[in-house]
Amino acid sequence: MNITLKSMINTVQILSTKDIIVARQQGRELAQNYGFSKGDQIRFATAISELTRNIITYAVQGRCEFYTSENEQEHIILAKIIDHGPGIDNPLLAITDGYSSGSGLGLGLSGAKRLVHEFLIESTPGLTTIEINIKKRKY
Amino acid sequence: MSIIPILYLKSVLITSIQTELTDGEILQFQHELLKKNHDLNAKGIILDVSSLDVIDSYMAKIITDTMSMVMLQGSKLVLCGVQPVVASTLVDMGVVLGSMKMFLNLDQAFCFLTTKEVAQV
Repeated sequence: MNITLKSMINTVQILSTKDIIVARQQGRELAQNYGFSKGDQIRFATAISELTRNIITYAVQGRCEFYTSENEQEHIILAKIIDHGPGIDNPLLAITDGYSSGSGLGLGLSGAKRLVHEFLIESTPGLTTIEINIKKRKY
Repeated sequence: MSIIPILYLKSVLITSIQTELTDGEILQFQHELLKKNHDLNAKGIILDVSSLDVIDSYMAKIITDTMSMVMLQGSKLVLCGVQPVVASTLVDMGVVLGSMKMFLNLDQAFCFLTTKEVAQV
């Protein structure tokens, strides 16, 4: 990843289902403000929905941080989804299609991964950080 | 008290999910839908999602689970109004809504359920 500059826009605390909506709406608005297509906006919002919902399901609480950045060719919008829950034992396994440890369809992580341009995950017991971004070419 | 209005028109139940639901609200909604379906001897249920601009895998599961419950009743639940961008996002994610019958809009869904006696599959 060639991210040169990161400005933090804001943080959404994820404590309940309502916060999932707040986080995804903010993600969508951010993408909209930076001129991303509706498709990109909704994909980004949906990825945030999946990932923040995982916080509610597995980690009780966490937060979603929004950043903007850029490189020479592109505008970038990032979301960092962080929680202090039990962690994901095997992140590589968890992002495979169909894998589920909960009652969901098993597509939370792998689904979210497919909706964004970059997807980074680091997870240990007590700290899980997932960073996603979408990019748009400057003209 | 209903979380989500369930309307009844010409033997068809029509309902529209427009907000995020908590687990408790989902169960209550499903229960109400199944009960009305049974009590009113409805031809079927139309679930309209035209207000949802995000459908994630959790919401998709609510939809498919509700359909399965209705099928166990020997009845039908059809979906309508999936927004274009939502449709492409669901495909991108790899979420498949199974064997659900889907319609472009409420009008087409309603015609399907009311035009003729739809044979049990």
